[in-house]
Amino acid sequence: MLKLIWRNLIRKKLRTSLTVLSIGIALVLISFLQLVLAAMSGVEGTAANRLVVRNAISLTFRLPASYEQRLQTLDHVEGMTILNWFQGQYIDDRPENRFPRFGTNPETLLSVFPEMVISEDEVTAWRSERASFIAGQTLVDEQGWEIGDVISIQGDITPVDLELTLRGIFANPDDPSDERRMYFDWQYVEEALGNPGIVGMYYLRLDSADSMDRVISQIEAMFENSPDRVRAETEEAFFLSFLQLLGNVQFLFNAIGLAVITSIFFITVNTMAMASRERVTEVAVLRTLGFSRPKVLSIVMIESLGVGLLGAIFGASITPVVTNALTLFLSGQGVIFNSLEFTLQTLMLILGIGIFLGLAAGLVPAAQAINLKIVDGLRQVT
Amino acid sequence: MVPIKYNIKSLFIRKATTLMTILSIAFVVLVYIGILSLGEGLRMAFGASGDSSTVIVLRRGTDTETQSYFPSETHRILSTLPGVAMGPDGDPLASGETLTLQIVERPDGSETNIVLRGVEKEAFLLRPFIELTEGRTFVPGTAEVIVGRQLAGTSTDLGVGGVLELGRLSFDIVGIFDAEGSSYSSEIWGDTRVFGDAFRRTNYYSSTRLKADSQSDVQTLINAAENNQQIVVDALDEVSYFEAQSTRSSAVFLLLGNLVAFMMGFGACFAAANTMFSQVSARSKEIAAMRVLGFPRRTIMSAFLLEACVLGLVAGLLGALFSLPFNGISAATSNFFAFSQINFVLRTTPDVLLTGIALATITAVLGGVFPAWSASRAPIPALLREG
Repeated sequence: MLKLIWRNLIRKKLRTSLTVLSIGIALVLISFLQLVLAAMSGVEGTAANRLVVRNAISLTFRLPASYEQRLQTLDHVEGMTILNWFQGQYIDDRPENRFPRFGTNPETLLSVFPEMVISEDEVTAWRSERASFIAGQTLVDEQGWEIGDVISIQGDITPVDLELTLRGIFANPDDPSDERRMYFDWQYVEEALGNPGIVGMYYLRLDSADSMDRVISQIEAMFENSPDRVRAETEEAFFLSFLQLLGNVQFLFNAIGLAVITSIFFITVNTMAMASRERVTEVAVLRTLGFSRPKVLSIVMIESLGVGLLGAIFGASITPVVTNALTLFLSGQGVIFNSLEFTLQTLMLILGIGIFLGLAAGLVPAAQAINLKIVDGLRQVT
Repeated sequence: MVPIKYNIKSLFIRKATTLMTILSIAFVVLVYIGILSLGEGLRMAFGASGDSSTVIVLRRGTDTETQSYFPSETHRILSTLPGVAMGPDGDPLASGETLTLQIVERPDGSETNIVLRGVEKEAFLLRPFIELTEGRTFVPGTAEVIVGRQLAGTSTDLGVGGVLELGRLSFDIVGIFDAEGSSYSSEIWGDTRVFGDAFRRTNYYSSTRLKADSQSDVQTLINAAENNQQIVVDALDEVSYFEAQSTRSSAVFLLLGNLVAFMMGFGACFAAANTMFSQVSARSKEIAAMRVLGFPRRTIMSAFLLEACVLGLVAGLLGALFSLPFNGISAATSNFFAFSQINFVLRTTPDVLLTGIALATITAVLGGVFPAWSASRAPIPALLREG
């Protein structure tokens, strides 16, 4: 019986392959959008025991440097550092030159991000030289830098020009996207500005995720009546707040996905309908030969399922290639994703949609096939 | 020439197949138009904000008002530049404004950044299109604000009578203003000094807008501001400023739309090819008959292409029709470079609709080329034998 189904599938090779191709491409699109969503939410690489303290008004407001001492009095805090976003301009506005730049405290950065891999010597070199920086492996590869290279970044929002020497290269196996960052000593900027003592974010690492809720409420209470009220949140919530700024991207992408599925549904139904229409006589012959209704039903359904599955397999097999190509293309357009990883979840999604499409598209022709009066089928000449 | 009636009738003979192909293409068009109308709405929101005789001055090196700041002294120098128009009261039409981003919770619990614009009376003189639709304007020197209509529409908490905690003060919402759908309609406006007090940031401005004496003086005024040795600023006309903002923000939608159109276009193209192939094979005897009657191959090919074209056109029209309810839907996204929310409405403009219909037609015709070609090439005996 399987042989019969296979023969049916390849009877009109062109039609089957066109349908499989269109299902495949549509599934690639859907999985690409899902991968983008996953990448944008960027919660990958966040640690459940890290929290961010920033000004309650918004990111454009800073906090006083004096808060550090008060935060240090808290229990459960194992590490604390500062992160200050430094926009500036490196060479020009091209997307590859717009990597994240953070001013930090070289003495404490690793206490909060222990997963960063960097040699002891490089850290020491970075700590002992104010005008130096460390950069992630990806960034170093992109820019073709070598240890000892000097770069200059023009200040804009923060009116300080930086001249920094690369003293270390780090890796971050937990979060490859982190490797597009650079860190430098914030004291460089503080000195140039006459030590105003400003901090964008305090980054804290706690002993465990269980202490998180308690510490967050302690921190918010601590500064309740201070001139600059703070907002303390988990690293994950902090990242998600950026996604929320974009509005309902998730809804948009899911709506696109749904319309795309509807579209390929019609395509698949159409193919199956065409196939079964051509074979009315054959179905009648099968029934005459003693094939039961359930058997005829399953022949049609399995064939339809086969189309859906073939489409899904094709889609899944080209998704990684297409995703890489698209990521490359988009980075040329200024939209940079750090990593779009083809996950098992995406694979399951693609297969699931393929199976659903195949089954749903087979329903109508299958129903027609079992309701067919043998006499009518034999009479019909196509 | 084969009468077009023949093609249309042929499409109708296989109603189900034709309909499903049309629907599959129509949904692709629907998605495409949907995304394009997002981009278009965003573009219009920014486009409506600019005035070509107004010069906007920012701190040198910054691209958006929310990033920029300079001392009040800079603003004072700017307002005395030659070429600045005078207002009805004899003061220069120079509007110093402060922009503050404030985290605000959306009704669904997610968060966004809203622009608080601190203004003085010149802000209204420079933007005559701003109109109060409800309540009254704020009284200078008091903790009162007015809310842009599109922002007010997103949450009931932002209506007249509401109270907003901003910085260390509580502000009463006393009015709702409309700014002709421009990006100002996504902002909250209040007195510069009171905002400064609330956020303990005084004696600074984010931007200064200067009204040029006459249209021709705009460039002169820009040069005067940028070349003044006492201040470090960038100046550009307001239209260019907003164009840059809108290009950056809507580029993402344009990119997404083209990506979806490109990939789904393939799928739809294959669907059209399938349908046209089945049309050709179902009508092999007819084709043979036409050939025998003396219709040249070229005519047969063009007849089938025309049929594909009709298929695409109908699908495009249907997709466009489905998309009409999109027009006017409110949406909000972030101004990507200022990190502030901008509310806008989707616009299914004629341009957008036509682009969608064109996409459908091109798709269907591309899908029809090969089947039409094979129909015209097949030898007559083979055609007669088939089926």
